[in-house]
Amino acid sequence: MKFEEHEAAVREAMSRPQTRREMLRSLGAGFGMIGMAGTAETLAFAVEANPLAPKRPHFAPKAKHVIQLFMPGGPSQVDTFDHKPLLKKYAGQRPKIVDRKSLRNTKNGLMPSPFEFRQYGQCGKWVSDLFPHAGECVDDISFIHSMYTDIPEHAGAMMMFNVGHLQPNRPSMGAWLTYGLGSENKDLPGFVAMSPRAQPRCKLANWGNSFLPGAYAGTYVNVASMKPDAVMPDLKNAHLSREQQREQADLLALMNRHYLERRVRDQKVEAGIEAMEMAFRMQFSVPDVFDTEKEPQHVQDLYGDSEFAKGCLIARRLVERGVRCVQLSHSISGYDIAWDTGHNDIKGGHKDLAVACDQGIAALIKDLKQRGLFDDTLIMWGGEFGRAPTSEGAKGRDHDHYGFTTWLAGGGVKGGHSYGATDQFGCSAVENRVHVHDLHATILHLMGLDHEKLTYRYSGRDYRLTDVHGRVVNDIIA
Amino acid sequence: MTESKRWVCCIAVLALCASLAFPAEQLTSEQIEFFESKIRPVLAEHCYSCHSTKAKKLKAELYLDNREAAFKGGESGPIIVPGKTAESLLIRAIRYEEESLEMPPKAKLPERVIADFEKWIEIGAPWPSGGDAKIAAGATGFDFEKYRREHWSFRPIKRPDLPVVADTEWVKRPIDHFVGARLKNAGMRPAPQADKRTLIRRAYFDLIGLPPTSEQVKEFVKGEKTWSAVIEELLDSPHYGERWARHWLDVARYSDGLGGFLDNGPLPQAWRYRDWVVAALNRDLPFNEFVRQQIAGDLLDKPMKTAAGTGFFAVGPTYRSDGGDPESKAQALAETLSDRVDTFSRAFLGLTVACARCHDHKFDPITAKDYYALAGVFKNTNVREFPLVSPDVVKAYQDHDKAIKKLDADIKKLDRIVRQKKRPLTPEEEADLKKWKKELPELKKTLPSKYDYLHALGDSGSADMHVAIRGDLRKQGELVPRRFPELFVTAGKIAYKTGSGRSELADSVIDPINPLTARVFVNRVWQWHFGEALVRTPSNFGVLGEKPTHPDLLDWLAVEFMDKGWSIKELHRLIMNSATYQMSSQHNEANFSRDGDNRLLWRMNPRRLEVEVWRDGILAVSGRLNRSVGGTPVNEILGSDRRTLYGTVSRNGDRFASEKFMRTFDFPAARSTSAARTASTVPQQYLFMMNSKFFSDSAEALATRLEQGSLVPNKQIQLAYQTAFQREPDEFEMKIALRFLTGGQDRRARLVRLAQNLLSAEEFRYAE
Repeated sequence: MKFEEHEAAVREAMSRPQTRREMLRSLGAGFGMIGMAGTAETLAFAVEANPLAPKRPHFAPKAKHVIQLFMPGGPSQVDTFDHKPLLKKYAGQRPKIVDRKSLRNTKNGLMPSPFEFRQYGQCGKWVSDLFPHAGECVDDISFIHSMYTDIPEHAGAMMMFNVGHLQPNRPSMGAWLTYGLGSENKDLPGFVAMSPRAQPRCKLANWGNSFLPGAYAGTYVNVASMKPDAVMPDLKNAHLSREQQREQADLLALMNRHYLERRVRDQKVEAGIEAMEMAFRMQFSVPDVFDTEKEPQHVQDLYGDSEFAKGCLIARRLVERGVRCVQLSHSISGYDIAWDTGHNDIKGGHKDLAVACDQGIAALIKDLKQRGLFDDTLIMWGGEFGRAPTSEGAKGRDHDHYGFTTWLAGGGVKGGHSYGATDQFGCSAVENRVHVHDLHATILHLMGLDHEKLTYRYSGRDYRLTDVHGRVVNDIIA
Repeated sequence: MTESKRWVCCIAVLALCASLAFPAEQLTSEQIEFFESKIRPVLAEHCYSCHSTKAKKLKAELYLDNREAAFKGGESGPIIVPGKTAESLLIRAIRYEEESLEMPPKAKLPERVIADFEKWIEIGAPWPSGGDAKIAAGATGFDFEKYRREHWSFRPIKRPDLPVVADTEWVKRPIDHFVGARLKNAGMRPAPQADKRTLIRRAYFDLIGLPPTSEQVKEFVKGEKTWSAVIEELLDSPHYGERWARHWLDVARYSDGLGGFLDNGPLPQAWRYRDWVVAALNRDLPFNEFVRQQIAGDLLDKPMKTAAGTGFFAVGPTYRSDGGDPESKAQALAETLSDRVDTFSRAFLGLTVACARCHDHKFDPITAKDYYALAGVFKNTNVREFPLVSPDVVKAYQDHDKAIKKLDADIKKLDRIVRQKKRPLTPEEEADLKKWKKELPELKKTLPSKYDYLHALGDSGSADMHVAIRGDLRKQGELVPRRFPELFVTAGKIAYKTGSGRSELADSVIDPINPLTARVFVNRVWQWHFGEALVRTPSNFGVLGEKPTHPDLLDWLAVEFMDKGWSIKELHRLIMNSATYQMSSQHNEANFSRDGDNRLLWRMNPRRLEVEVWRDGILAVSGRLNRSVGGTPVNEILGSDRRTLYGTVSRNGDRFASEKFMRTFDFPAARSTSAARTASTVPQQYLFMMNSKFFSDSAEALATRLEQGSLVPNKQIQLAYQTAFQREPDEFEMKIALRFLTGGQDRRARLVRLAQNLLSAEEFRYAE
């Protein structure tokens, strides 16, 4: 073959829609039935060709995207969304039900909330004055008041909350979801994790891929210090213009296509050629999505100017472009377990944190609703555990893993709804208890995945986010 | 405890319960009425789904639909103590007073129902006979004999006969008999031998993890050097140990410490274990000794020479508790032991014993007792500093150090008195303070740098361990002697007595009758040569693992390996001299459509190079590689010219910027043992190639090398392909490169970008 013909053939191959992967998809040959029955070859192919290609869920999903608003350190339920008026009446007393083993320090007895509660919305939900903006959104929220977890310590409980295991050696929930569903945007990472200043304790494990393939790891961005063109390593070329880069990339593509002729039907090489092109596009699409200055002023005003709110706005921009999962963790002072300031001072510590996130959270809900994205997006708010209704010093509360509150909003959950309950003082979940594994099972369910079928074979065993546990909380599903 | 003794105990417990409870036949009608109306319906509604003969999955071995079984209790022992509510676990559970035993789990029972149960216990827990469900005699324990007979990896290893192959021309070595026969049976033909350039590149990447130079390739291609001379030269290279150590370090979940919140200390001497592995492989330490020194090197005759091997365990995570609650202390110890048992059993035996931490293994014949029999060994073992100098030197250092600390404390004490203005100092104190303050800097200055030491294991006791019920160390079950898993016919019966038992444990592992050790290791070596193992789950030879594609070949290799004195280098020779190893990786549509996974080995697998080999190769061809061997690690390996092996590894891979690069290219998380690298393809990898400083520096260096060779574009391109791929560019490659190079005035900049493209090319990422 002459050079010109050869080159034309190679170029033609480059312009063709993505070869066998496309073919498989158009044939509907079980593509993307990850973790379900499927031949080894289709599975291997689906994963290797482009690990982030959208995959078919197990059943019709209620939501397509997840935004997790993670509150590390443990916000107090009785000072936020789990109103317990009896605390006032029995202040200072230590009834047996609030003096449980592992509530490490209950010595000063019951402590009433230093915050006023008032009713919001059609549903009349009692919310403390910490969250006046979120309070306005209660008719869009399902509260789960009966959460519980395994241990009252941050590191382990955070791992349970974000990876479903007490140790940081499993994939994070976001990694599982991205593995199960792929992503709808081929120019952005499928899973983005953010926080202002401090990364939550256990850092990378909170959004890590562990033994899942690297494509499913969350890409971390520090929203306090970020520059849009440096949110990922090596995003920007320091030397070349876009045209120069394109010329170089064209040459590389030709070289690689030519090499592929020798490596006939090699999926890894094909995938590499595709990934190179995606990397090229990401250089421009990623800085764009993180540039909140591109939002009109009234939208920026809606969110307010806190760092957490900026994270909320970026979260919206990400899901709007099809990113599967966003995890936004809270921090205001560089503390990796922000809400743990509740030990010494519930009033001051919680106030500062709530002020920094309340408006952004409400803005996110309102903004998603205005754009018609709310029904497709599942928002989740909560920390790794809660805080005891008792006081450990004069003004603070110790950890409480027996009962705490998490809430969900948007994609497929009921609005103005409350599920489960703690005892009369807010200490332990007693009614319709929901373990963290159950919460995970429910989130996967809302995203169209069966938590018992979303598995990954590693080291000779099928692993799941929910291990051998998990029960879908059907009652909160709309 | 023997079977019969255990039964005596059970019967005693039952008798005790029965004597306190009402005999069923003497119950009053009120008592019966109370049970039938207030208790049994609640049990049926809230408990039976997990605790009855009808339960889909019985939990905690507890039945509540059968009087006798209910009084006997479950995993946690008896739950009903008639007359004593406080002692009845049942009441504590439904009151949610028992940690992780809040029953029923979904929601707490109403207070009034709990009160009924309390009343029921108080009046003696009357439970009429009749209406009880029959409990089938459940299968307890495993039929080990059956497993040893039927599961392929538990059977004794025997040397298989070589299959007869028709294609005698193809067959070079015994390995080829096994591979050839299977292909023949499937009606497939092996790929032809690879060309010599491909072969020598394959050998270089496989044995030393570096590409050959263009000259080395030419020498071999021209026939000036034989294949076996190439192999011997590479096996003798100090870089051989570096390459193969990295394989083993994946299995050993090697890190320099620096873990997460609960295991975050550095292990500044961990590199000595890494260097020990490199040296052991370079001198071909027989594998059985290699294993022994990693399990018990501190307990051997000359520990100064062998203790470094125990870094295998010592560089793993040793968790501490957060806050000191009893549950977190127990949790920390349990996790540490789990790391040890898991790494030990998967690395050496291909067994997932850690799955039996909370209950008997669901698939393999491994009991929870087996787990605690092994965990007991590690519970009597700790991680300690092992000095590499004489005791005098250690003592001198420690005395000196103590003296500094004491002087420092004395000074602080007096300073505090002055600062707090409690009282004026006495004249003697004044004089002392002045003197000490002068002495302290002097003393600090003369402190020698700390002597060399290892992170090694040491024995800390010799006690057996209790089974922890559901993995909770605070809930003690049966005491089990330290020993090998019962599955192993002889080793499983002998209790370890000496110290922690590690020496005896090592003996059990490397005993030639152990059916797993040799099989597991030769399988790993096969994988590191072929990209895929014969058993494609190299760390799981259990029931859920894959079966070998070539069972007889695996056994033949295992026997041969042991017969040749467990020599790893001999194993390389066996493999690399075979026709199987020397096959081309070229595509064959007919074979591909039948066996796309290449399970029958109809060709060599084209393999993605590991990140270390890839980066080292870039440094090598751009003329920047520092080939020195061993020593302290480099935190930011990307900014260094050393081999990638020498980068600091933090346990979560998150301490250093360079680790992000490593993880992006599939470097495994060092938190648990890793059997095989994945080969993922993500855009972040290509961003690194396009935009990183490492890549632009490498491209500049390569371009300079090319310019030094020639200023003529054609020649530069030719040289570029020779340097990067040890071959000539073909016509197409020459033309597109030439067009790019001469497409503008910025010749140097274009040469740099061309060089960068060669280093970023797909071809550069593979061994074929």
